[in-house]
Amino acid sequence: MTKAVTPHVRGVFATRRRVLALGAAGLAMPFVRRASAKGAPVNVGVILPLSGANAQFGVNSRNGIELVAEQINARGGIKALEGAPINLVIADATSTPTTAATVGQRLITQNNVVAILGAYASSLTLALSEVTERRDIPLMTMSFSDQITGRGFKNIFQIIAKASVLGAAQLDGTVAIAKSAGQTLERIAIMYEDTAYGVSQAKGLRDAAGKLGIKVVMDEAYPLGITDVTPLINKLRGANAQAVFPASYLNDGLQIIRSMRQQSIAMPIIGGAGGYVIPDFRKALGEYAENVLSIAPGNYDLAPQLTDAFRKKYGYFMVHEALEHAVCLDVLAQALEIAKAADPAAVRKAMSEAEFKGGWCDAMPGGVVKFDQTGLNTHAVPMMVQWRGEDLVTVWPDQLAKAKPVWSAA
Amino acid sequence: MAFIQAVLDGLMIGGVYAVISIGLTLVFGVMGIVNFAQAEFLMLGMFVAYFAWAYLGLDPLIGSILSFIVIFCIGLVQRTLIQRVMKAPPVAQIFLTIGLLIVIENLALLAFGSSFRSVSTSYQTSSLRIGPLFVSVPYLAAFCMAVLSGFALWLFTDRSWYGQAMRATAQNPLAARLMGIDVERMQQIAFGLGVGLTAFGGAIVLPYFTVNPTVGSQFVVLMFTAVVLGGLGNVVGAVIGGLAVGVIQSLSALLFPIQLQNLVLFLVFIGVLALRPTGLVGSSR
Amino acid sequence: MKYWPYLLAALAVAVLLPLWLAPSGYLIRVLTLALLFAALGQAWNIVGGLANQISLGHAAFFGLGAYTSTLLLINFGLSPWIGMLAAAGIGALAAFVLSFPTMRLSGHYFALATLAFSEVLRVLASSWGSVTGGPAGLSVPFSPDSLLMLQFKSTRPYYYIILAALLFVTAIFVAIRRSALGYRLRAVKESISAAEVIGVDTARVKVIASVISAALTAALGVIYAQLTYFFDPDSVFGIISISIRIALITILGGVGTAIGPIIGSFLIVPLEELANLLLSSRAAGLSQLFFGILLIAIILVQPRGVLVLIRNIVTRARRRKPS
Repeated sequence: MTKAVTPHVRGVFATRRRVLALGAAGLAMPFVRRASAKGAPVNVGVILPLSGANAQFGVNSRNGIELVAEQINARGGIKALEGAPINLVIADATSTPTTAATVGQRLITQNNVVAILGAYASSLTLALSEVTERRDIPLMTMSFSDQITGRGFKNIFQIIAKASVLGAAQLDGTVAIAKSAGQTLERIAIMYEDTAYGVSQAKGLRDAAGKLGIKVVMDEAYPLGITDVTPLINKLRGANAQAVFPASYLNDGLQIIRSMRQQSIAMPIIGGAGGYVIPDFRKALGEYAENVLSIAPGNYDLAPQLTDAFRKKYGYFMVHEALEHAVCLDVLAQALEIAKAADPAAVRKAMSEAEFKGGWCDAMPGGVVKFDQTGLNTHAVPMMVQWRGEDLVTVWPDQLAKAKPVWSAA
Repeated sequence: MAFIQAVLDGLMIGGVYAVISIGLTLVFGVMGIVNFAQAEFLMLGMFVAYFAWAYLGLDPLIGSILSFIVIFCIGLVQRTLIQRVMKAPPVAQIFLTIGLLIVIENLALLAFGSSFRSVSTSYQTSSLRIGPLFVSVPYLAAFCMAVLSGFALWLFTDRSWYGQAMRATAQNPLAARLMGIDVERMQQIAFGLGVGLTAFGGAIVLPYFTVNPTVGSQFVVLMFTAVVLGGLGNVVGAVIGGLAVGVIQSLSALLFPIQLQNLVLFLVFIGVLALRPTGLVGSSR
Repeated sequence: MKYWPYLLAALAVAVLLPLWLAPSGYLIRVLTLALLFAALGQAWNIVGGLANQISLGHAAFFGLGAYTSTLLLINFGLSPWIGMLAAAGIGALAAFVLSFPTMRLSGHYFALATLAFSEVLRVLASSWGSVTGGPAGLSVPFSPDSLLMLQFKSTRPYYYIILAALLFVTAIFVAIRRSALGYRLRAVKESISAAEVIGVDTARVKVIASVISAALTAALGVIYAQLTYFFDPDSVFGIISISIRIALITILGGVGTAIGPIIGSFLIVPLEELANLLLSSRAAGLSQLFFGILLIAIILVQPRGVLVLIRNIVTRARRRKPS
């Protein structure tokens, strides 16, 4: 009897107590929710090529982003969001633009990312940006194809100068350096690998040479996976140029320089970033890398106080793609502070209106980042760097230079 | 003069293409498989030679022999997989070797990382001068190694019992079996030899090339064109095909933009297939 | 024939499912891509399944389609529907031209020749920058939601268009298979010499199949361009990302059957996505490795495809049941 009743009674009590407890909880809900929202992580999408031919650069970029994320979280996260930590959602863009776009779609839908950083290669970024633009999610990138900011998109933010500007600066900087060494450039050779990077850079160079009245005596594209550069170098030998401007990745860049030395072709080499500004370049060429010039969208020696942390953590100097992505994340964090909400629209507004200073922006030229209506960072200025020993030193323009350039026939 | 220089350069690099292609054609000749993953073994051979240089201080030209041995053994071990592939219909074969390509490339990516690695040797930036002509020393060294390996292969297939048994298996597996030859064993050796030679070819170009898990794809076109030119399965044809590819590539730069050099190769490829499907030299199948 | 109820049910699901999914979400995008590749596989099935010509170069037609319609759109403002007709025409022409050098080829040689052809087009698209935009690729000019311009902000309309395309291509496949052309193709597939003996013009038959397949593939390329709004030579002429994937989908699903490409696509596309989702952030190359191993495993176990695999399992299960 008792047995049959007590559980029922206990059940009723329990139920009532449960109802009271739930009711109390229900009343407290808004307060509880706000309390748990304190420090709810902000999801930031990171889409980079982590496999395929660009994997190395994707990994470098990811390292730069992770470094900054750690720093932000270590000092207490986003203050305006009650110390919300940055939560990186990292995904492989692979080397197929369609996949990059699908991955973007996934991060936006499943992970509620407030913004996306990516995707290193211009073709991947272009495909990805079609998704982010239509979903109104800000995309921050250091890809520099002219097309990226040329479509009237509102959600794209490019942290460095575009390809045509880079190409022009490559020539302008060289002309300036040559002049300070007493030589007037009149005949140049251009060679470039045939993907979007090389082609767009070469166009910038070509147009700039036309404006300055400098003759381009050799203008050759070559397939990226070229296995034999001797035809290229044979042409160079017969072209009678004063300086050569190769836009290459590492494999082709090394072949070019080694072949030039084999044939004792001595002229200044001005690389187009890419493979010319990574540690492997110096490691492979040893003393032959000395005094090779290159254009670069950014360089670590502008802010060693910041970039040394990268070298300490990862064992190599902070390559420019890692640096630029690091700056992107810092700018995003600052935008979150201004927007006071983990809301893509508010973040977009903050990014397009504010002027960003301090933090990692110190590593950018002028220490300032400001985006215009097309999404370009108006303060981004390309710089010329030169190999001195194991380091890349900024040598032009004068306001950024850390050392005097050396104009030598290699 | 530019013409002679181009032919010279083309022949030297063509020697390397020849060694790489012999491997592919051997595999087809004895086993009937077009191994789409062949270039991945080239990549593995390059890595072996790279690590031999980095940790043992071996010059890649010596390291190439090590590459051959290591990859040959790996090839031998593939016996079961290869037998399964051979029994499959041609359609499935294509995709099995493609699957193998994906697996090897990504295993390498996981194991070795994505960075490009290069060796530094003393002769990398030197060249000989013969009159007005330049002869790049790394190219010449690779060419000599290629010739040596070709000679060694010829000795093997012509003089040794194993070599002759392999040729018999390639010509007529049933007859070979009737003569007491262990056909599966021959196919196993042929596969090992084939991938080993391609790996060797990769190692000898290491002085002027960088290695990275995706490097195989840069040689695929060249390898297949050389093999088709010479006739699938024909070793001598692969040598001629390899040299031809090198010279075509080099000469095309004199007439067309260098950017289109692969285009020229592809058109030659399609043209040969159209006019003489069994190759310029003739095929064993 | 007896599968009609299942087919209708599947069709009903396919039509109604998107209404439950977020119209611009991730899931619907994956499904749309799976439908697109199923349609591509079905078009390939016409030559690969019915004629037994393993083409590894169908990306050639796919890319031609994408470039044709997009260039017409950019330069003349023509609607992609018109572009689709033009694309189909150009694809058909390309297949016709390609048939000359490949006429006497079969097996490996044929596969390699088709591969080389698509690579020729890729290099051309990449180097002829003034016409094709070069390696940087082409962006489809923005237009507000419009059926005429085949452009929509959300993915749902694309889903239905591609579903219709899949049904259309499948209908053509089935129609060919049942027709006199299909009968002749079967004869060619069984034995070319025997077919010649009974009076089949084997060359003509192969060319017709190849032309139809190419035209359909090119038309699908147009839809792809409108769906992704951007493409470059590598994405539309890609060997592994397009040609091999199309052939793989059909073969894994069951080459020569109408349902094969559909099974194959709905197996492979979501699987790749899953691998990317779970594995790609862990270690570089892990998701691709997983995919490659799976590919090898499936082919080793049942080279004739998943459909046959399922049938065998079902038959074996039925046999075990005491009847």
